[in-house]
Amino acid sequence: MTSISCHKQSNEVVVYTSVDQLFSEPILKAFERESGIKVRAIYDTEETKSTGVLNRLLAEKENPQCDVFWSGDPMRVIVLKNEDISAPFHSDIADDISQVYKDADGYWIGFSARARVLIYNKKVLNEVDVPQSIFDLSNEKYKGNFAIANPLFGTTTFHFAALFSSLGNEKAKQFLADLKNNDVVIATSNGDVKKRVMNGEIACGLTDTDDAFEAMKESDEVGMLFLDQKGMGSLIMPNTVSLIANAPHIANAKRLMNYILSKETEAKLAVSCAQMPLHKGVKTPEGISSLDHIVPMEIDYDRSSIKLEEIQKYLKEWVEN
Amino acid sequence: MGRKLVKQPLFTIVYLSFVLMIVAPIVYTIGTAFFSEKIGVELTQAFQGRTIFLLLKSSLIAAIIAFFSTIIGTFLGFLLYKTKIPFQGFFKVSLLIPLLISPYIFAVAWKDIFLFFFRDSTILPSYLTCILVMIIVFSPLAMLITGSAFMHINKQFEESALMVTSFRKMILKVILPLIKPSLISSFVLIFIFSISEFSVPALFGVKVFTTEIFTQFSAFYNHSMAILQSLLLILICVFLLYAERKHLADLPFLSIGSKGSSSKIYVLKKGEFFSLSFLFLWLSVSMIFPVTILFIQSFKNGVGAFIQAFDLMMPTFIDSIALSFVAALLIVFVGFVAAFSASNKPDLRMGKSFNYLLLFVFAVPSTILGISLIKFYNQPGLEMIYTTYAIILIAFVGKFSFIAAKIIGDALKGYPKSLDEAARIAGATFSIRIRKILIPMILPVLFLAFMVAFIFSLGDLGTSIMLYPPGTELMPIKVFTIMANAPQDLINSMTLIVFLTTLILIIGLYMIAKLMIRKYNCAYD
Repeated sequence: MTSISCHKQSNEVVVYTSVDQLFSEPILKAFERESGIKVRAIYDTEETKSTGVLNRLLAEKENPQCDVFWSGDPMRVIVLKNEDISAPFHSDIADDISQVYKDADGYWIGFSARARVLIYNKKVLNEVDVPQSIFDLSNEKYKGNFAIANPLFGTTTFHFAALFSSLGNEKAKQFLADLKNNDVVIATSNGDVKKRVMNGEIACGLTDTDDAFEAMKESDEVGMLFLDQKGMGSLIMPNTVSLIANAPHIANAKRLMNYILSKETEAKLAVSCAQMPLHKGVKTPEGISSLDHIVPMEIDYDRSSIKLEEIQKYLKEWVEN
Repeated sequence: MGRKLVKQPLFTIVYLSFVLMIVAPIVYTIGTAFFSEKIGVELTQAFQGRTIFLLLKSSLIAAIIAFFSTIIGTFLGFLLYKTKIPFQGFFKVSLLIPLLISPYIFAVAWKDIFLFFFRDSTILPSYLTCILVMIIVFSPLAMLITGSAFMHINKQFEESALMVTSFRKMILKVILPLIKPSLISSFVLIFIFSISEFSVPALFGVKVFTTEIFTQFSAFYNHSMAILQSLLLILICVFLLYAERKHLADLPFLSIGSKGSSSKIYVLKKGEFFSLSFLFLWLSVSMIFPVTILFIQSFKNGVGAFIQAFDLMMPTFIDSIALSFVAALLIVFVGFVAAFSASNKPDLRMGKSFNYLLLFVFAVPSTILGISLIKFYNQPGLEMIYTTYAIILIAFVGKFSFIAAKIIGDALKGYPKSLDEAARIAGATFSIRIRKILIPMILPVLFLAFMVAFIFSLGDLGTSIMLYPPGTELMPIKVFTIMANAPQDLINSMTLIVFLTTLILIIGLYMIAKLMIRKYNCAYD
């Protein structure tokens, strides 16, 4: 039990992350090797709904132990901003990242992004029948044969908030009612959507690009599509880093944040989990989509997060009824 | 009472430590929920009709699971502990294996089984699948509890009954009433485990009370609401355990070893084939299918995934095993102190209250326990606890000491006081009486309590994921944080490794304990 000792050394940094350990750990280990700064991490995943890290950050508010929060989406960092748990930070490294993917006050900075995509099983669904728009899912021919993850958790929550923000409450509610009438399958998580499509239990489902690429690696029967490329575009969700207010190791925290925000990290994440770089000129492997070739949904992340709080009760009722 | 406490320094220290280190943080956290700004609205919402209906629905599901688990467990217990049946030893051990697997992993395996055979993981309605999986998971517990009771039935009762009535009537009128306390204990414990279980209903999309609490925590980040709702769950669990304790105050719950047992063993004639078939069928359902599916999926693409899984799990082994070992020792110690004080000093009020406090903490949901300990220990000056494994040890002692106290307490009830009296009259000090008489007598039970505490600590996820110190890694947490996006064969390999590690550890510890118990008993014969 090597870790039963008091850790208040200066040459360390504490990071909490909701990005899957399989992808985040190699980045943190590389920083440790290159900087000589010991990284002590707490991992969590969307699969466990990030119960651990976010609730821990909230509970630790009065005496923060964490220096950096690396989130897989912009939704959670806005909760931290609203609760005064994060602090502003400006990184020169991120200057060439579009302002859309950064908080105006510096409470979070976005980098490597995922998109919400449709995955489908080629054996169950003919190429010509694959929906091209999210609104096609309310079409009778997909009845009971498509899935979304529980919209109370994870990136699906943010996707729905973005839809409400973009379409307005009335249209968005009508769309959700149409999905319900079309017997949408509500899966426990994006991973569950991926698994059901891979297994051919359902024809298609909404998930994130990293899940989609993982599914395509595992099975030749799975295809992926960016929806609404002739319409409102696909939702882009950057990873984000935030500095924690009163972080115990502030200098190391800033070094780690700069490292995470670097082009090198984006290149590594593009290889390991098909994330799309937000810096310009980052080389990506063949087959990995680039933001230059996707029509993104135009949203304001802060506004969508406010919308999220507003619609959560409605979403809960929608799921339960 | 003050003088009594001075005379019991060890008890007083352990009791006060438990109160200050574990109970106080929980009470403080629950108390703060009542001082939330929105307490009026939250109280109304927490106790509104819909919530109560959900609680009743969850209670009904838990009752169905507890009822059928107890029936199946009792039947298995009867076959394995009251009859002479081939491969008895093998079935006794292998049918307990589902208790070693996390219910979540078990549920995932069963989803895969449905998919493997029917190409559809949702072939059965989600409620039914959820209930069936939980019955499979908890039946071994009922088997263990009732099996112990079967072993301790005095054969004179059975033989007398068989002289005047049929075998069937003897079972109904003699054996079942005699094991009634174990049946009740089994039902109550499984009910509590089922109603508190979150992962299995969540996986099958079954909305129960725990998923509602989880939603308040993780979707709304509304801690005070989640705490208020948890209170309802805590009240139900405490009430049931209290009622069970009152009703069965002096009756044994679980004991091991057949020393001194004079129970009658039946030879099955016509029924042997049917009984063996049932045992094999249950073994297939509860172990062979899930473990086989894990094997198949782990190695479907060769050994690469298994090797990768092993590399990923390597850093977690030492910490997880050492932490669970230390936790189990502490849990047995606290459980022993609590049980001993309640059994030997019934006039000591704090002895009784200690057991009720253990019961209360046992009923507190893992997330509430985690949040409570974070808020209490995350203070300047307490880093030695908060930033180390000490915080998890505290949580485990709080969560699992009740079970240890219950197992040990029941053994102490059967301990003949005359032995202690005789030794005292002969001039043996308290310490000598404990070390040389009591401990050798109940050593197998202490070992059982240790094993149970060890298994629970090794497999805990709910509390430890809230508390594990940055930079450390534990087995269940590693599996859960990797499984979100990892390929299926890697996830199954990791699960298989956790399962095999637990199994090897338990067999190893069992062998060591067997040797130790024999050596200890020989030394004092």
